[in-house]
Amino acid sequence: MANQTEPIVELRHLSKTIRGKKIIDDLNLQLFPGQVTGFLGPNGAGKTTTIRMMAGLMKPTSGEVFVAGKSVQNEFEAAMSNVGVIVENPEMYKFMTGYKNLVHFARMHKGITKDRIMEVVRQVGLENRIHEKVGTYSLGMRQRLGLAQALLHNPKFLILDEPTNGLDPAGIREFRTYLRSLAEKAGVSIFVSSHLLSEIELMCDRIAVIQNGKLIDIREMKDEGRPHHYIEALPAKQLRAILESKGYEPAESGAGFIIEEGVERIPELVKSVIAGGLDLYAVRPHRKTLEDEFIELTGGGQIAEAVAK
Amino acid sequence: MLKLLQNEWMKLWNKKATWVMAILLVVGVAGMLGLTKWISTVEGNRAESGNVQVEGQADAPDWRMQAEAERNGISAQLADPDLSSSREAELKEDLQIVEYRLAEDVEPHGNYSRQQMIKDSSGIATLAMLFAIIVAAGIVATEFSDGTIKMLLARPVRRWKVLTSKFAATALFGALLTLAGFVVSIVMSYILFSPDGGTELVVRGGEVAEISVWTPAISHLLLAFVNIIVYTTFAFMIGSVFRSGALAIGLSLFIFFTGSTVSALLSRYEIAKYLFFSHDLVALAQGMTLIEDVTLPFAAAVLGAYAVVFLVVSYLVFSKRDVTA
Repeated sequence: MANQTEPIVELRHLSKTIRGKKIIDDLNLQLFPGQVTGFLGPNGAGKTTTIRMMAGLMKPTSGEVFVAGKSVQNEFEAAMSNVGVIVENPEMYKFMTGYKNLVHFARMHKGITKDRIMEVVRQVGLENRIHEKVGTYSLGMRQRLGLAQALLHNPKFLILDEPTNGLDPAGIREFRTYLRSLAEKAGVSIFVSSHLLSEIELMCDRIAVIQNGKLIDIREMKDEGRPHHYIEALPAKQLRAILESKGYEPAESGAGFIIEEGVERIPELVKSVIAGGLDLYAVRPHRKTLEDEFIELTGGGQIAEAVAK
Repeated sequence: MLKLLQNEWMKLWNKKATWVMAILLVVGVAGMLGLTKWISTVEGNRAESGNVQVEGQADAPDWRMQAEAERNGISAQLADPDLSSSREAELKEDLQIVEYRLAEDVEPHGNYSRQQMIKDSSGIATLAMLFAIIVAAGIVATEFSDGTIKMLLARPVRRWKVLTSKFAATALFGALLTLAGFVVSIVMSYILFSPDGGTELVVRGGEVAEISVWTPAISHLLLAFVNIIVYTTFAFMIGSVFRSGALAIGLSLFIFFTGSTVSALLSRYEIAKYLFFSHDLVALAQGMTLIEDVTLPFAAAVLGAYAVVFLVVSYLVFSKRDVTA
């Protein structure tokens, strides 16, 4: 989508060097209201470091993070009042009740009323257990509480680091729907890092891929590229010969092949396979998954250090 | 800022350990006074059974004999040519008081009188210090070890404010424990001990004057609190720099227990004067000096300087640190 809107978050020439090693190298990124951006990268690529710099937990070596036009580095309080953060496994004060945890965090923002706290509690579905100690909560409930504390102050920008860790499938689905509605209805800009590529695929409008501290790709999820089909028939050798004779470049995939082709010429192809006396087992549209693309992009997701050397 | 302090106070009292410490303080102080009472009863019985045999000769009250012995002791010390001038001045004051007592027949408070117990009630400070150190050591460190620091710092509140609220909560906790221990000590003094007809004396402007026991009781308590603050600030610094509560508690207590020995060993050297663990303000006020020529204002200034340094280090490290926990 062409963005006529102003970005709500901007990373400008962000770099971070830790003990002589460049963890983040000149990262530039813009995030827009109402958009869910996925943040992908192999382990050690610098995802967590980037997120911590955006959340004001780490200081960049150079460069700046702007939220709603305010620099996180120089106008910390003004910038952070627009940010909600859920770090992986939200660690709450286990010795206090969920409600007291929320009161605690509410006191660190301006103008959050008791009614607002209860409203958020209802939104995340914790009203029955909110007055129990967090120590007795399941991981899923802690995630909900983590979401609640991030939403208390109606942030314009939400950072989620591995948010679905520990959620059951129903919980993940509910969480995803909730985030989408936050983005679409409230215009919140959401930045999600996750290892679960299928999650990112379902949740995000846009993905940013980082490797070795550099942003290597930003793309809209709507570009699906050209259509592909999967075809499987025996004997495979003959199938390959037929495909090649028709000008395709068949790529082996499991027991069959993937070819670049829309639906139009498929019936014709099926006819010639059958006419050739082959046993046809399957023909179906094939969509490249984000995982395929991710692995293509990052070269199989090796540990970044190995690549860096 | 008040809201942040409220937060710290809430977190503190939602921990069971805090309540355990508060209860231990009350029980411990009451127990110490109970023990003193028991010892006084045992000693009293022994003295009575002894007195039966020597009753005929003892026309002078016990306190006069003790005072005379004290006077002789002080005179002997004053004869020492190597005496430092500050020590000499202290001894002369003590001598002046003893001589005044003997001349004017002014009895001091007995060891187990209510007044003496009130006067000595600043002794509870050690226990209060122990617990204040534990809290100071953990208040920053546990946020790191529990991982809650990320939640705490990714907020529109600058870090120095967060740290200030934590330090304020620690100091407030120390003050509360000191006060609570003092009150328990006073209440137990009233319950367990009976007053006697003695009088507390002090040298003021060269003259011997009568004072109430409350004056030393309260001034010593305040001085003890200064010591508590310095040790808790140290524990607070170690806890926030190394993010380890155990290290902070261990190191602080180690210094507290071995500090006086180390300063005694170093007392011949100038450096001993500038070590924070050399200065026990209550002991100084009572005229017990470990190092020569150390006055109360000097010691207080040294302690103040240390507290400032400890705080500056804590602030610098805490506000610059990258949170990776």
